[in-house]
Order: sequence, then structure tokens, then C-alpha cells
Amino acid sequence: MTLRASQWAGLSLLIGLMLFSVLGITLSPYSISQQDLNAILVPPNADHWLGTDHFGRSMLSRMAHAIGLSFALGILCVVTSALLGTALGVTAVWAGKRVDQALAILVNILLALPGLVIVLLFAAIAPGSFWVLYIAISLVQWVEYFRVTRAITQGVIQSPARQSSNMMGFGTWYQFKRHIWPAIAPSVFTLAAFGGANAILTMASLGFVYVGIQPPLAELGLMTVELFPFYSEAPWLLAQPLVVIALMVFGFHLLAGKRA
Amino acid sequence: MRDMLKVTNLAVYVDDVCLLEPISFRLREGEPLTILGQTGSGKSLLAQAIMGLLPDELRLVGQVEVLGNVLSLAERRALWGREMVMLPQEPWHALDPLMKGHDQVKEVYQLVQGDDKASAEHKTRLDLAHVGLTENGHKRPGQLSGGMAQRLAITAATAAGANLILADEPTKGLDVTRRDDIVRLLQARAEGGSLLTITHDVAIAHQLAGRLMVIKGGALVEEGDAQQILNQPKDDYTKALIAAEPKQWPKPRLAEVGNTLVLEADKLAIERGGRTLFKDISFSVHQDEVVGVVGDSGCGKSSLGDALLGLLPLQQGHLNRLSSASKPYQWLKLYQDPPSAFTSSVSLQQLLDDLVQLHHLDQSRIAPLMARLSLPEGILERNCLSVSGGELQRFAILRALLLDPVFLFADEPTSRLDPITAQEVTQLLVELARETGCAVLLVSHDPDLVSKTCDQVIRLS
Amino acid sequence: MKALLLKRLLQLITVVWGVGTLTFVLMRSLPGDMAYRIAASRYGQDNVNSDAAALVREELGLNQHPLEAYWHWLTDLLQFNLGNSMVSGLPVIESVQHMLGHSMLLAFAGLMVSILIAIPLGLLSAWRGNPLDSVLMGLSSAIRAMPVFVIGVLFVLLFALHLGWFPVAGYGTFAHLVLPAVTLALSLAAVSNRVVRDSAKQTFRAAFYQFSKVKGLSTWQTFQRHGVRNIAVPVVAFFGIQLVSMIEGIVMIESLFSWPGIGHGLAHAIFARDIPVIQGAALAMGVVFVLLNTLVDLLCLWIDPRGVEQ
Repeated sequence: MTLRASQWAGLSLLIGLMLFSVLGITLSPYSISQQDLNAILVPPNADHWLGTDHFGRSMLSRMAHAIGLSFALGILCVVTSALLGTALGVTAVWAGKRVDQALAILVNILLALPGLVIVLLFAAIAPGSFWVLYIAISLVQWVEYFRVTRAITQGVIQSPARQSSNMMGFGTWYQFKRHIWPAIAPSVFTLAAFGGANAILTMASLGFVYVGIQPPLAELGLMTVELFPFYSEAPWLLAQPLVVIALMVFGFHLLAGKRA
Repeated sequence: MRDMLKVTNLAVYVDDVCLLEPISFRLREGEPLTILGQTGSGKSLLAQAIMGLLPDELRLVGQVEVLGNVLSLAERRALWGREMVMLPQEPWHALDPLMKGHDQVKEVYQLVQGDDKASAEHKTRLDLAHVGLTENGHKRPGQLSGGMAQRLAITAATAAGANLILADEPTKGLDVTRRDDIVRLLQARAEGGSLLTITHDVAIAHQLAGRLMVIKGGALVEEGDAQQILNQPKDDYTKALIAAEPKQWPKPRLAEVGNTLVLEADKLAIERGGRTLFKDISFSVHQDEVVGVVGDSGCGKSSLGDALLGLLPLQQGHLNRLSSASKPYQWLKLYQDPPSAFTSSVSLQQLLDDLVQLHHLDQSRIAPLMARLSLPEGILERNCLSVSGGELQRFAILRALLLDPVFLFADEPTSRLDPITAQEVTQLLVELARETGCAVLLVSHDPDLVSKTCDQVIRLS
Repeated sequence: MKALLLKRLLQLITVVWGVGTLTFVLMRSLPGDMAYRIAASRYGQDNVNSDAAALVREELGLNQHPLEAYWHWLTDLLQFNLGNSMVSGLPVIESVQHMLGHSMLLAFAGLMVSILIAIPLGLLSAWRGNPLDSVLMGLSSAIRAMPVFVIGVLFVLLFALHLGWFPVAGYGTFAHLVLPAVTLALSLAAVSNRVVRDSAKQTFRAAFYQFSKVKGLSTWQTFQRHGVRNIAVPVVAFFGIQLVSMIEGIVMIESLFSWPGIGHGLAHAIFARDIPVIQGAALAMGVVFVLLNTLVDLLCLWIDPRGVEQ
């Protein structure tokens, strides 16, 4: 699979942010909750490269952790929902009408509520839990892979090419490898890139309305709310989570290449 | 006779690549001109260039004179509908999918001719009645057959009075019986004006008479009176084109068919979408026999073949596969559209390797077969989208023959190929099937093709 | 058509069941003695005694077998008996009605503005092509990369705090509506303008569009007769898809601007663990979502009846 220039740009942006996160977590001398009450809301300087927040905590450490948390959630959700959705999408076509209908009912139930509302309800059950967020977001996201994979697979199953391989005696795995996977792979990739962006966005949104990851953990949406009151004294602080969220989402959108 | 249209050194370029070689001709009132050549020779750009419909990235050089005046693009555009009109290749695409057929004609009277509602309605009714569409005017294009859609398109196109008609493959994809209707309708509509037809179909050139130009690879090879050229072609290419028409194919050598039965069908009936396509069809197929199936589109020709292969259920009747020693993978199908029958994800070589590995085939059989099918060596490194349709269909035959098939269902295997290639592929298929003792069920919309190749013909209606 | 309505009806039922079940689970999983907590939140910390707790326990069926309680919970739901807020003690149904009105106003205003932005810009992009097209597409990519609350925060910073043109938050006057509605509209339009553009481009290129001009119709007549409706088909279908973004956007925007709508109410109730309100708000959102989807389905059928006729 060859990437276009803009896709490379997106990938580089994401890798850059990941590197920042990994280096920040491993190399920064400050933890995310370590307070320095003598250095509150200080601008970037030699000790605190990105400044400190209203409790005197190192912004560099907090940003590195927050980005790491976002990527971890994004990647986990993408892998889970892509595997589940693709597998079920292909199965729905191949396993016959009954399975297809059962899955259609399940999907209809999940589509009856906007994704964010489902995630919010799950978040209410276990406030601040990363794993509940992960389960809720994956639960919402696999549906899209399922729908797309199912639609494309339906076309491939009917195609002369697949039919011809079947007649020549090739088995199920061969037909998947040669016919179905090449047809669905580009769409799965695009969905995965958008899915990564959406997972990160959803977590930030929940943090922003204060029902996601809880303090004192660092999370981009939560940091936006926490730092908002200091927008005039320390605008560089509020800018950090806002810019990083936009960069992460933009990176994933560029990587997707196509539009959803 | 006045000149309706005069074209001088018209050529089309994209950047510096010439897509249509310079061409000059004149079209006189009442004397139709037919331009004959294979698809892909750039001739489809000609009508667009004359109309002024070329996409922006294409560059046009040369002069177009309409009714005695040299006209710019904008001036030609002003004549659309009223003086000159171009008919679409694919009427289904040229008609608004959301608008009723009736309204697509009526709007021309109202908006172009300036008629009031009542008189536009009246004229539309007359027009539709004239082309036998009274019953179908309220339908949307998707509900019309190809022939009906083309009649509707012609009616709509000429409603504003244009009688200088440019028709680009006007009968593409239509059955032979419908084709003659369309040609007659075109002739009627060009009354008082003239008709320029671009086609690959020698039969249409015959029917239209008038003048004829034969084009090869964008360049003119022969020009003159149509009947004269078609009866006594001078150029080799023209000769080949004429000879490629199934009607002109040599009479088949009727080989004595073996006595070994491969398949017996007894009173078959097949339904599709709740409608019975045909019933009470009985026949038997012998080893190395070529059985033809003919009938209009939609009559269930392909469904019959699919049913014989077990791809479609039978509604009624009984099917007996007598070749008991054969394996399921020796009952195979050749598809109408070669590229759709292969995955483009890997090279052709890989596809062959897959097959050799699966069935433990003898690799050394490939090279002689390739030579026999005149497939060039390098072709295997490419994937199915980067070889020509003719090569791909021959590759499909190669792949099928490697499995020593006992029965091959060829579903219009050459209808997407140009006539010369179609002839080669059909003849190769029949020869090889006879050599290897494989029975072939050949489906075609062309009765001539079937009568020239098959030992037995099944007619569906 | 029947199948379509049946499918949506099924969704409506599953929304009610799903939300009811989730909130029931939520209720049962609250830590500590629920009755005490709820009584405390309802009557104030000082007024809680075992009588009050017993009353609550009785009312909410907390001493019943879980399955029995679940059954009661669902039958209450089917009778629109949503109970009272644990925080304010007011009937949930009233506050949901109230919040829904505010949300509808915001959603309608946002949607209208987004249509007014997306349709002309999308058509312009398709019609004029480059360089305008590239500029507009680049701009919408940039806006799309920003979550709706980031756009909102930037607007608050610029137009409310810095320039002081509009109030930071709250509701009541037209000025209060401007920033939330425009935030919602921009986030929606950044996506839908592409859909309009793609659809228009495809229509302008279509053979039937060209053929209409060849028949003699002018460019404008062709656009009116064959452009509008064909362009509208995918655009209207997309509005159905965008309903999700709209509702999600509303949750965020209402929280940001303290707009007293259903999204704000839901987020607030989750934070306060006010279960009856969570249930009421989620239910209202789900039901409205399914109804709007049905409306879009019917609109699609009206514009493009091909699917039904064949």
C-alpha cells in the first residue's frame, strides 16, 4: 500500500506527537501531580519547558501523559473495533441469512442512540474509568466497520471473480485473502484513521464536560476546562491542549487520505 | 445539396499526445455519413469535438463549419437542440434518472420552443405515440429497457427541431431487432437535415448507406460510397472489419459429435425475481459439442447457463450430469466482462501459481497453451487491469483449460471485445474445446455468431 | 416504505428499553446505601433519617428482588412515569420538556445557519473549480480537525471575552443564541459543504446534465430542472448521517455555553449522578434522534422515489 504525500505528512505528525509523549513520560523529572507552589502559572522556561499550571505542575509532563493516554485509547479502540467489525461484517455475508439478520438487529439497536450519548451513559456507570471508556467507544465504533465491510463483501461475493475462484475449487481462506480483503482493506484503513481521531475526540469531549477521566490525571479535554479560567493570565497554557487535540485529529484525517 | 457540416483538419490533443488524428469531411443534406472503426480509436471524441463538448483538459484544433459558417464553440453551443444535436451512447445515463420520461420531452417544447403548457403536452403525447412509448411515458429511465430509453432520448433530443444529428454508437448494447428500429428512427429524424453516425458495427453502416469513412487507430484508411466500400473493400483493414462480422464468418466444419453425453436437461424452468424466465426447455449436451443459446436480452440466456453449473436453483425440471468421473472444478464458466472475472490484487502469474498449487497441475503445460492462445510471455507479470480485454479473455480460457474442463459455459465471452478480436477469441475457444473434448454452452445475443459456431442451437424467447 | 417505518419503530422500542436498562443498572450499581444517598440529596443532609430512607426505598423499589425491580422500572417507563429529580426533586418530565425546547431552538438555528453556509459554498466550489475549490476545501479541513468544543472555546475567547460582542454564556436573548448556534453551524457546515460540492460536481459531470443542454436548455434551466433534485439526493441522505454529529455537538456546546438544553442537562445529571434525569434526558435524545431519522428517510423517499417504485 502506497501512501500519498499528505498521508505521509499525517503519519509524521502522529509519530512526532507519539515521540514527544514517550520522551516526555520517560525523561521528564516531574510527575503529573508533583506541585511546586513557588512556580504557579509560570511561562515556559529552562526548568519547565512548557510552563506550569495553576497548581505549579509541569505542563510538559502533563501534556506528555495526556497525549499518551489519548493515543493508547485511540489505538486500542481502533484495533478492537476494526477487528470486531470487519470479522462480523464478513461473517454476516458468508454465514447466511440468519446470522445476517441477527447482526442487523444488534446494529439497529446500537444505531438508535448517537454514539456520544451511549458513551456518556457508560461513563455514568463507572466515572473516570479508562477501561469503561474503551469498551463504550469500541462498542460504538465497530458498527461502522461492520456496515462498510458487509456492503463491500456482499458485492465481492456476487462478483464473477469470486464465483470463478469458488468454481475452480479454491477454499474460504483463499477467497478471503485474494478477493474480499483486497476489496475491503482500503476502506478499513480509512475508517481506522477516522476512528482513531473520533476515539480521541470522544475522550476529550467527556473530559471537557467533566464526566470522563478524573483529576488529578492529565487528559486533554479535562485540561482544557481546568486551564480555561486562566486564559488571560496564561494563554499559553490553554493553547497547549487545544492545539494538540487539533493536531492529533488533523494528523489522523490526513492519514485517512480520503474522506469518510 | 447544401453542406450541413464541414470539418477541416479537426484533431484532439491532451497536452502533446494526439487522441484523434486530423480528420476532414463534409456532411451533405440528405446524405448520411458513417464513420466506421474500432472502439478506442479516438473516434468517440469526434462528435464531442464537433458539438463543443470536450472536457476542459482536451485541446481542439481545426475548423468546424455548420450550415456554411465557421463557428466558434460558443456559436455552436447556441445551435444545440434547435439546429444540431448529439445523441448519447448510453441513453440510460443521458436521461435524468429522477424525471419521468414524458417530462423530459415536454420540457424541451416548453423551455426551448416556448410553447405553452397545453400545446407542449399535446406535442409530447404525439411524439411518444409516434415512437411507441405512450404506455411508458410516465416511467423513469431506470424502468425502461435500453431500446425504449434510446427512443425516448432521440425524441427528446430532436424535439426542439434539430435535424443535424450526430450519433455516437447509437445502438450500443441493444439487441439486433431493436437496433434496426433505432436506425430507422434516426433516419426519420434526420429528414431535411443529415446524420453523422460513428460506429464499430458494419451492419449499421450497411443499413444507413450514404457515405462511409473507415478509420483505423485515428487515421483514415478508406472513404467513399458505403455500398461500394462494403461490397468491394480495398484496404486490408476494411476487409478484416467486414470479415469479422459473424455473418461473414466461414461456414463451420460440422465435426461429428461424439456419443458420450455430458449433460441432460429435462423440462427446465427458471424464475428470477418472482418471474418465470422460461419453462419446458429440454436438451442434451455431448462431449466436444458446442451448444449455442440465443434470445433477446432479459430472456434468461445467462440464467440457463448458471443453472446448468448449479449457480442458480431450478424452478422446475431435472438436470442430469452424466460425466460421473468429472470433478466439480471441471464445470467452469467464462464471463462476459473479462476484468470483472479476475482479482486485480495480484499478477496473472500469481493466479496461475495458485491454481497449479491447488490442483497439483503440471507446470509445463502452461507454455504451449500460452503459445497456442498467442499470449505474449510478459503478460503474466501484469495484473488483470493492465492487459487488454482480448488478452484477458484468452487468459481466462487458458486458466479454464488447465483444469481439463468437461463443460464450459461461455456467457457472451466476446460481446465486450471489438469485432476482429471477438472473432479470434471465439474461434480459438471453439477449436480448443473440440481438441480437448470439452462441451461448450455458448450464450450470445448475436444469432449469426451462434449459427456459425454451434452444433446445436437453443432459442429462448 | 413499510419496512422502513417498521425498522424505525423497532429502534424506538429498543431506545426506550436500552436507556431504561442502562439506567437501571446504573441505579443498582451506586455505591453505599442508595436510599440514604438519595434521601440526602432530596431532603438535604440534615433531614435524613431512617424514615425518609425507608420511604425512598419503598418508592424506588430498592428492597425488591432485582428482576422484580427491573420489571417495575420498565413498566413505569412505559407509562411515562419518569420520577423526580434526585437533586431538585422536580418531576423529570417537566424539566425534560423544558430542556428539549431550548435544545430544539439551538439545533434548528444551528442547522439553518449551516445550510446557509454549506449549500452556496459547496455549489460555488463545484461550479468554479480551482483555485476557489482548494481554498474552501482546505478551510473546511482545518475546521473539521477542531473538535466542536475547541471551536466554541475559540469563539468565546475572541467574540465574548476579547471583543465583548456577545455574552459568554447563558440564554434568554437573541445575542445569547448567536455564538452557540454559529459554533454548531460551522462544525456541521465544514463537513456538509463537501457533500454538497461532491454531489454537485458529480451532477454537473453527469451525462444527463450535458444532454439537457444538448437538447437546447440553457445552463440555468438545466440547473433548475435537472441539477437541484439530483444534487439534493445525497445531500439529504447525508443530513441523516449528520444528525449524530448534531446531537453530539449540542451536548458539547450546551455544556460550554451553559445553554439549558438536554445535552447540558444530561452531562450535568451524569456528573451529579441524578439517575432519573439521566434517564429522562437520554430517553428524550434517543426518541428525538429516531424521529428525526425517520423524517429524513421520508424526505429521501420523496425526493428520490426510485427505490419504492421498483
